[in-house]
Amino acid sequence: MHTSASPEISPFLEVRNLTLQYTTPQYLVTATWNVGFQVSSFDRLILLGPSGCGKSTILKAIGGFIKPAGGEIRLQGKLVTKPGSDRGMVFQEFDQLLPWKTALENIVFAVTSARRIPRRQALEEAREWLHKVNLTAFADAYPHELSGGMKQRAAIARCLATNSPLILMDEPFASLDALSRSAMQEELLRLWEENRRTLIFVTHSIDEALILGTRIILFSPHPGQVRAEFTSVRRNVGQSLRGRELRERIEYLLFQDRVDYAI
Amino acid sequence: MLSEYPATKRPCSEAGNPGGDPADTACALWLNNEYTVAEAGRLPELQVHLSLVERLRQVTAVRKGCVVLILALIWQAYAMLLENELMFPTFSSALFALYDALVQGELLRAVGTSLRVLAAAYAVGVVAAGLLTVLALTSRFGSDLLETCTGMFNLLPAIALLPLALLWFGLGYPSIMFVIVHSVTWPMTLNIYSGFTGVSNTLRMVGRNYALSPPAFLFKILIPAALPQILTGLKVGWAFSWRTLIASELVFGVSSGSGGIGWFIYEKKNQLDIPFVFAGLITIIAIGLLVENLIFNVLEAKTIRKWGMQS
Repeated sequence: MHTSASPEISPFLEVRNLTLQYTTPQYLVTATWNVGFQVSSFDRLILLGPSGCGKSTILKAIGGFIKPAGGEIRLQGKLVTKPGSDRGMVFQEFDQLLPWKTALENIVFAVTSARRIPRRQALEEAREWLHKVNLTAFADAYPHELSGGMKQRAAIARCLATNSPLILMDEPFASLDALSRSAMQEELLRLWEENRRTLIFVTHSIDEALILGTRIILFSPHPGQVRAEFTSVRRNVGQSLRGRELRERIEYLLFQDRVDYAI
Repeated sequence: MLSEYPATKRPCSEAGNPGGDPADTACALWLNNEYTVAEAGRLPELQVHLSLVERLRQVTAVRKGCVVLILALIWQAYAMLLENELMFPTFSSALFALYDALVQGELLRAVGTSLRVLAAAYAVGVVAAGLLTVLALTSRFGSDLLETCTGMFNLLPAIALLPLALLWFGLGYPSIMFVIVHSVTWPMTLNIYSGFTGVSNTLRMVGRNYALSPPAFLFKILIPAALPQILTGLKVGWAFSWRTLIASELVFGVSSGSGGIGWFIYEKKNQLDIPFVFAGLITIIAIGLLVENLIFNVLEAKTIRKWGMQS
């Protein structure tokens, strides 16, 4: 690219004219069309939209797992072409922890693979991270011995331990029960306060978006296009008038497009 | 037990949110009563030890041992009723024969010969299966080749190849090796390959997220994730090779006098030492069980069952 993409002036992450497609045996399906947005450092950006709007696909493209059919993604000015540990990924699925490693070893594995530091130092840091997510007592437990919420906490710890500047979360709390879910949201905010990173978080829950995000990008369904962009007000949105207005506005925008009801 | 809150009915919005957000007045639940739960010390014993008999009944080996014992007793009773040592010797005489054959060293020699051939052929089969799988994972032609070959050759009983093997390699161990390798390779390849292709996409993405090199990806993600199927493949391969070995030894034995355990059975039948035939059969079962329980079960317990990948 001839545009001078020097890190000083380019945004932390820039998604430009992104079109993503995938093939099924019969069709070439366009998941997102001409999507563009920018992310600044330390944003907590929420990608919000109905199921099938391609928000997870966008996240995977930022992660480098999917090649764009059109447009480009630049992280600190550099074109994203393949997966890398500078973008830590937390998945929705509980099976993202390696079942043959304990909670501690899962983190050690991530730290040593991503940062190539000696094992002793990795162990120390892994223990620290387990402590931060309140899993110290379960350091030597295998993933199948952990509850769903614990597994996701371990996965988040594993992701943060690699020191990736950008954290990508793909509905990490969607499979949790409602109680664990709100506890995890609190915990994520606390972790973010302690250890600030840029966070991109995919969800289909308006409440979750309002609790977690500093910015929200709303997608239209199939193919995903940017419908609206919000800057969320402070927390406790449920109580504030502006928060409720925001929610109503989001609901309106989502339902206006006659989305299926499973938002 | 009532708490200090009397049973006055208050809306929860009043109790929970003194601020009184109007949005919460929609909440129509009332706090009626609160209870305190019994403390741990005042509860009945939460863990009670099971009796010895109960605990023994939990051990699978004990239960299965009982089944074997019952079958042996039935055998003994029936053979004693029959009183025909030539056609159906008693369990006890088979045991005595087994003891004799072991003490004389004849049986041990036969077992040793068999196991040596088996180990060599099994190793060749494992390596072949591994190579085929790697080929199949790295190229489309490889996977087509693998699927076609396993599809065809899996259906071909190893013994059916024996006449050809005799023609090509002559009487002797190369022929047996050939049929055993054939019987091991295909089912094992099929299992290992399906194990690799079945590794969950999430785990693959985790590996790619940390930018693992291809060998690291194979050894740190694919192989452990596919271990349940790999172990199944090894087990199936073991059972196939063991049966093929005995069968091919029985069919044509070996030219030299130091044959394997199949040859031992064949010879004893010719000499009408029928209790020794049974002793040979018992040995085959015993070795099979030993390998199954001591090697594969321990391997499984230390890996996939500990990791919760198999219950």
